[in-house]
Amino acid sequence: MPSAQVTFTNEVGLHARPAALFTRAATGFTADVSVSKDDQTANAKSLLSVLKLDVRHGDTVTLVTDGPDADEALRALAELVGQL
Amino acid sequence: MKLSGVAASPGTALAPALVVAAADPQLPDGPVDDPQAEAGRLQAALDEVSAALQAQSDAGAGEAAEILAAQATMVADPELRDAAVGLIRDQRLPAARAVVTAGEPYAEALSGSDSPYLAARAADVRDVCRRTARRLLGLADPDLGGLRHPVVVVADDLAPADTARMDPALVVGLVTSGGSRTSHTAILARSLGVPAVVAVEGLLAAVGAESLVGVDGDAGEVVVDPPPDEATTWRRRADAVAAKRERAGAAPREPGATADGHRVELAANVGTTIELRAALAAGAEGVGLLRTELAYLDRSTPPDEAEQAGALCELVALLDGRRLVVRTFDFGADKPVPFLDVPGGPNPALGVRGIRLAQRHPDLLDTQLRAVVRAAAGGPVAVMAPMVATLAEAEWFVERVTAAGGDDAGVEVGVMVEVPSAVLIAQALARELAFLSIGTNDLTQYLHAADRQEGALAGLQDPFSPAVLAAVVTVARAGEAHGAWVGVCGEAAGDPEWALLAVGLGVRELSMGAASLDGVRAALAGRDLQACRQAAERALAASDADAARAALSSGS
Repeated sequence: MPSAQVTFTNEVGLHARPAALFTRAATGFTADVSVSKDDQTANAKSLLSVLKLDVRHGDTVTLVTDGPDADEALRALAELVGQL
Repeated sequence: MKLSGVAASPGTALAPALVVAAADPQLPDGPVDDPQAEAGRLQAALDEVSAALQAQSDAGAGEAAEILAAQATMVADPELRDAAVGLIRDQRLPAARAVVTAGEPYAEALSGSDSPYLAARAADVRDVCRRTARRLLGLADPDLGGLRHPVVVVADDLAPADTARMDPALVVGLVTSGGSRTSHTAILARSLGVPAVVAVEGLLAAVGAESLVGVDGDAGEVVVDPPPDEATTWRRRADAVAAKRERAGAAPREPGATADGHRVELAANVGTTIELRAALAAGAEGVGLLRTELAYLDRSTPPDEAEQAGALCELVALLDGRRLVVRTFDFGADKPVPFLDVPGGPNPALGVRGIRLAQRHPDLLDTQLRAVVRAAAGGPVAVMAPMVATLAEAEWFVERVTAAGGDDAGVEVGVMVEVPSAVLIAQALARELAFLSIGTNDLTQYLHAADRQEGALAGLQDPFSPAVLAAVVTVARAGEAHGAWVGVCGEAAGDPEWALLAVGLGVRELSMGAASLDGVRAALAGRDLQACRQAAERALAASDADAARAALSSGS
């Protein structure tokens, strides 16, 4: 399964608007997408799950994608994190 | 049809009714016969609620629109749906109960976060789950956001959450069958300047979805579907009220000062973000009284530090450098909360409440104080304790604030002066504290030994009473002598004539409902300090409240 480590350099991390944008982007792919921080993993298509992770400015997370469009999903989401 | 109730907020309005259902739906227990069909109903309801929230978000703008969009995403959340469907399948729960049950662990987890933003989202999760449950049960939403034309809101009673997105420009009147002059609805209505009548018997039976409702918030009268000629009269009166409000709103908002430039800080009494927005729009120079009780009422566990800090940070951010005076929780015998067993006692107003309750539950106070200290990182914050009667209580309170980190955070510490004993020891209190804030409502009733709820004693509940004025001057002089600022945050502060007397007596800050700010500002600008002092002297020597009121006009 493709995976990548990304660091949140934006001010609020995966809270508020960025969290909603990220979740919506992940929902657009067929592939399953997970976000892991420390020992916790969240379903990237679930806003509640992502919020519970409490990803903040400076945190590094691991994205893992699995499914027919896994590579495309990973690239797009990693790019989105860079633009948040 | 004419109905009567308790006048809760002045003014007159006439508009179609918006009947609002109770916020917390009664959830059915089940078990359901056909889990698969029930899961289908759930999915349909989730889709509908999500679409409705998204539509509201699209129609709005700013912070409110973003919260709605986030809520729309939450309802569509696959994990929430799967958890609820699991409950329907495994425990045969009805869909309405399943969605509320499934959302709770998420709300719990978020409310435990030390991020104020996340903690505030817990309420959003609970709200969308209840919203979906109401949809499933065929109940109307109490949401007052997304209105398209002016309405008079008609309800049993309103919870703070119901009014969070209320647009005061479109809610022109409020009428409830429950509540009292001090209920959330009444306080909100006064601070937004919306006419309101509460405790109206037979209200919900009389008002239908298509009814035209008139509200007279001065007389406490409500009219439902008036005949055309009567409706015209109501319309004329309502238009006059609206025009007056508009004129006042157009006047420039200078900082409060007398005609000769003696500064008096004009602050607002608020309990919610929406009230603060209204206050700032009316030119409030700060918050002189933040009521924190609302966060505690109607819940089985007290709000934690993160939730409280989140709410306070939001207010501090809105205030943008203006001071926020937080009153620590003021409930107890008179205002029971579900998570504490406080004996009512024979006379709750004289019972275990305010700081008396805090001393019995210091953990509750410490949690609140830590939240206050956290909020102080974002702007000037002061904190005061209610119902202080002794110097020892004040000293204890100062110690708790210091222990919570208040000193380092620059949090000013004060107390409410609303018990006669506090007036008599004002010198000692002023030495110990940064400020004293006079609560005229309770002080007036305790000074005269006249219950606020006792209509027959209305004459003894008048803050123009020379005894109340004497108490104000005693506290003001004590503050002056020891470098503590003295304010007034009772309802009297919003009465332009009383405000002039208070300034003459030495008060430097007046905190009131947003709707009163323009009137008080204009009254101050029309007098110089010397005239206020002379009027205050005459009022202090008057034989009763009416004579004291007359003192204002007699010398000018």
